[in-house]
Amino acid sequence: MSEQALSRLPSAPLELDIAITGRCNLQCRYCYYADEMVGRRDLPTGRWLAFFEELGRLAVHRVYLTGGEPFTRPDLFDLLDGLIANRMRYAILTNGTLLTDRLLARFDQGRRRIRLDYIQVSIDGSRAEIHDRSRPNSFERAIQGLRLLVEGGFKAVARVTINRHNVDDLENIAHLLLDDLGLPLISTNEAFPCSILERQAEEVLLTPAQRRQAMERLVALAARYEGRIVANAGPLALARGFQAIEEGLAAGLSGLPGRGTLSACGCPFSKLSVHHDGTIVPCHQLAGLHLGTIGVDDLRQVWLEHPLLQAMRRRHTIPLQTLDTCRDCPYQGFCTGGDPAGALYLTGQLNARNPWDCYRVHRGEDPYYAL
Amino acid sequence: MHDPTLYIANPDVSCREEGPDGALLFNPDTDQVAVINPTGLLIWQVLADPHTQSEVAAALTERCNNVPEGQVLQDVGEFLEQMVARGFVGLYQGVAI
Repeated sequence: MSEQALSRLPSAPLELDIAITGRCNLQCRYCYYADEMVGRRDLPTGRWLAFFEELGRLAVHRVYLTGGEPFTRPDLFDLLDGLIANRMRYAILTNGTLLTDRLLARFDQGRRRIRLDYIQVSIDGSRAEIHDRSRPNSFERAIQGLRLLVEGGFKAVARVTINRHNVDDLENIAHLLLDDLGLPLISTNEAFPCSILERQAEEVLLTPAQRRQAMERLVALAARYEGRIVANAGPLALARGFQAIEEGLAAGLSGLPGRGTLSACGCPFSKLSVHHDGTIVPCHQLAGLHLGTIGVDDLRQVWLEHPLLQAMRRRHTIPLQTLDTCRDCPYQGFCTGGDPAGALYLTGQLNARNPWDCYRVHRGEDPYYAL
Repeated sequence: MHDPTLYIANPDVSCREEGPDGALLFNPDTDQVAVINPTGLLIWQVLADPHTQSEVAAALTERCNNVPEGQVLQDVGEFLEQMVARGFVGLYQGVAI
């Protein structure tokens, strides 16, 4: 059985995304965390360790360590040991450029390896000319980092963030990562217009035509690689959602179970995020929605009682037919309204559909929005 | 009958109480989760210290009215067997407290 067997809101988050540092050795063109890295300061080791004790008391299951670049923290292994001592598992999301044999050998101590779910390395091209356009001067080091992980027997996965520079390179990227390097899987997402990208959208964001192209190519690649290309968001996830709509319509259905409300993101029911200065937020993409501060506010109380989180959970009960943008939409019975971060960035409201994820917008049939 | 086996909750397993649902056990070494009902939670709490199957059953019987002792002993045995097989409960090697 799993956590899904619970009939109600868990007593505390099951998982957390924690940006343990705002420092990074790269300056990626689409970094959603760039604005936070400028305006906030890293917490010292002791503050994190005290927070991990609180997570242990709440029986949190796992933590995803992000940044910034987690491997820039000289005390990273002290922090990992703090998570382990408090009965948690962890994963690390990294640009891969700082990985060395010597550093990876430190995972052999204690339970660091047994508690590690995976190390995710971001790769955005099959060669330096492509990868480095969104992640400057980093391709060779990132690939070397991935090779070290594979050779060391780590569970290494890659994240490909699809953008204007790599949309024509997807087949080559899949070949490099899945065939040549032998990774078990790659996850895909899409550069999204938040933070730094709001100011350089024209350089990086997919055009609507490129987005359609990415969907088609990723669906074909996912079929070719049989489950080794995955997505929770971005073109592949969208393509699958749109395919479900089309199949439902073809079968004469008016909707699908669990659809028809603003229910796209399940995170408010299982997960929280923390910035590197200790600010608690619903997720790093909703960076400005402050829920509290670690070490100051009781995390369980924030989880159970904060009005913003409660509003995000109530969002799941809002019927799409009550929204002006969706009232007359023939696809509303198949739709979840898209993720709330996109809705907030693009419309200024949480309780709105995210036009970026909208099937009607995708088809060019929407009277309110055109890509 | 002599019942020498002592059981104890795996100290590396976390337990979060979830009201009427009982509790979630999580073994971070194996990444396994178990959902236990309120009775299972009672057993888990008893196993904070090493106990035999009979002692666990006696503790449960004391807290639950109108349940046949034999049935409790059998149910506890099945529960312990499952929990041991999945690494949530261990066999205590030391001296009973």
